[in-house]
Amino acid sequence: MAEALQEQQPPALPNEIDPREFDGPAFQRDPFPLYKRLRDHHPLFHDRFHNRWVLSRYWDIDGAFQDNASYDRAVYKPDGPYQFGSTHVFGPNILEYGNSPQHRWLRNIVAGQFVGNRLQVFLPMVAQICDEVIATFKEAGEVELVSQFSSQVPIRVISNMLGLPRQDEDTFVGWYQALIAGLGFGGEHLARGIQARNEMWDYLDPLIATRSKTPGDDLLSRIVSAELDGARMSPDEVKGFVALLLAAGGDTTDKAIANMWFHMMYTRPDQYADVQADPNLWDDVFTEMMRYDPVVHAQFRHTTREVELHGRVIPERAGIILYLGAGNRDERVFKDPDTFNIHRSDLHMGRENRSGRYKDGKPGHLGFGIGQHFCMGYAMARQEAMIACTKLMAAMDTPQPKFDRHPGISSPSIDSGGFRSPQELVLTFNPV
Amino acid sequence: MKVRIDLDKCYRSGECYYNHPELFEMSDDGDPALKVTDLTDAGMRLHAEQAAEVCPAGAISIEE
Repeated sequence: MAEALQEQQPPALPNEIDPREFDGPAFQRDPFPLYKRLRDHHPLFHDRFHNRWVLSRYWDIDGAFQDNASYDRAVYKPDGPYQFGSTHVFGPNILEYGNSPQHRWLRNIVAGQFVGNRLQVFLPMVAQICDEVIATFKEAGEVELVSQFSSQVPIRVISNMLGLPRQDEDTFVGWYQALIAGLGFGGEHLARGIQARNEMWDYLDPLIATRSKTPGDDLLSRIVSAELDGARMSPDEVKGFVALLLAAGGDTTDKAIANMWFHMMYTRPDQYADVQADPNLWDDVFTEMMRYDPVVHAQFRHTTREVELHGRVIPERAGIILYLGAGNRDERVFKDPDTFNIHRSDLHMGRENRSGRYKDGKPGHLGFGIGQHFCMGYAMARQEAMIACTKLMAAMDTPQPKFDRHPGISSPSIDSGGFRSPQELVLTFNPV
Repeated sequence: MKVRIDLDKCYRSGECYYNHPELFEMSDDGDPALKVTDLTDAGMRLHAEQAAEVCPAGAISIEE
């Protein structure tokens, strides 16, 4: 009887994907096996459990990023009843806007501050802050890199760029951690995030008022006084942007630095020797880290019209998730995609382009996105990570991981927001 | 008024066509191209001026 029943079971489908896999701890730790099944067997996966369509191949993700007519980011209409910022932990900010003129305006008013000469003037300060932070642990000959270094530098850099009082830096560290956690799905984290935002806003109000009247050279003054097409950002938009800078700009760079060191200490200690011989190679460590396991793995879109892909049709107004982390491991584009290799010849190394197109003809990593919503802080992130890693390497003779085994890089749990990184990274070294 | 794009200097940052799609478009290889040649319209002139200002390669110039 039991045998007869078993014979009637449907055939096993080894490549079938249970959409609940996306929510489990295994996926948070190591999403790459699932990414591969998606790429190989379900390049367009309709995840009916989460009501979304999943893209995982490199050129499909590039195509979605490039096609503004078919894919948009916004959920609300800029001219509709939604009050921008009212439900976002950062307040009104550029991330809430889609492919609208409002988005372009907000982006253009600030984007120029993070590239070129305007960025260069901040770099000596970045180096000085790295020195200060390194001095707090150097003589001990041991550092827990995440809490003592990578999470300390970017937030102090940004608050310095903004010209915020240095004695308040520790307060910003607390606020930004609450803001980032508030990006997740846990109600408690959101409540704490909103509270941190409100405290920060109260703190910023008088500063914004003063700098609007008598602007200085700092970034906050430049943002409040910047004009485009005869208009300035409103005080609420300025505050939303500052929250975004502290949280998104700080936390991503923090995690980038930690991930670079993780890979140099655990994944490729042989290539760390190359980097020691030529510190300029940190640039390539950054690029390969952004391909192999970038800080941000997913971006969201929705369709604005029906889209044909892989012989199927995605309906209009469908949710789309673009797994950058999966596209970056696409064996159709990169040879040995699961090998971390800073000397890779099939990846565009060096500065990223918003267009995703390079004159050397090589594909770039997808870690900053592409196109309309390409990361605005890309140049800043690279420069800051370069300076931080070079400074730290110079302070340590023969750094070694304290523990032979490491649980690895992981995404945070679903209820708290944030980005991929090691939880801890303890190194021992001889101070230089 | 004419807009000139120096494709030797251009490194395909994309800033012109993403910020000013009214005036510029992206070719398949990522090079920018002009969509419009008639710049008598004041709005188009503004797009041209702003694009020349933000181009990180300094590859866009305006000739009166």
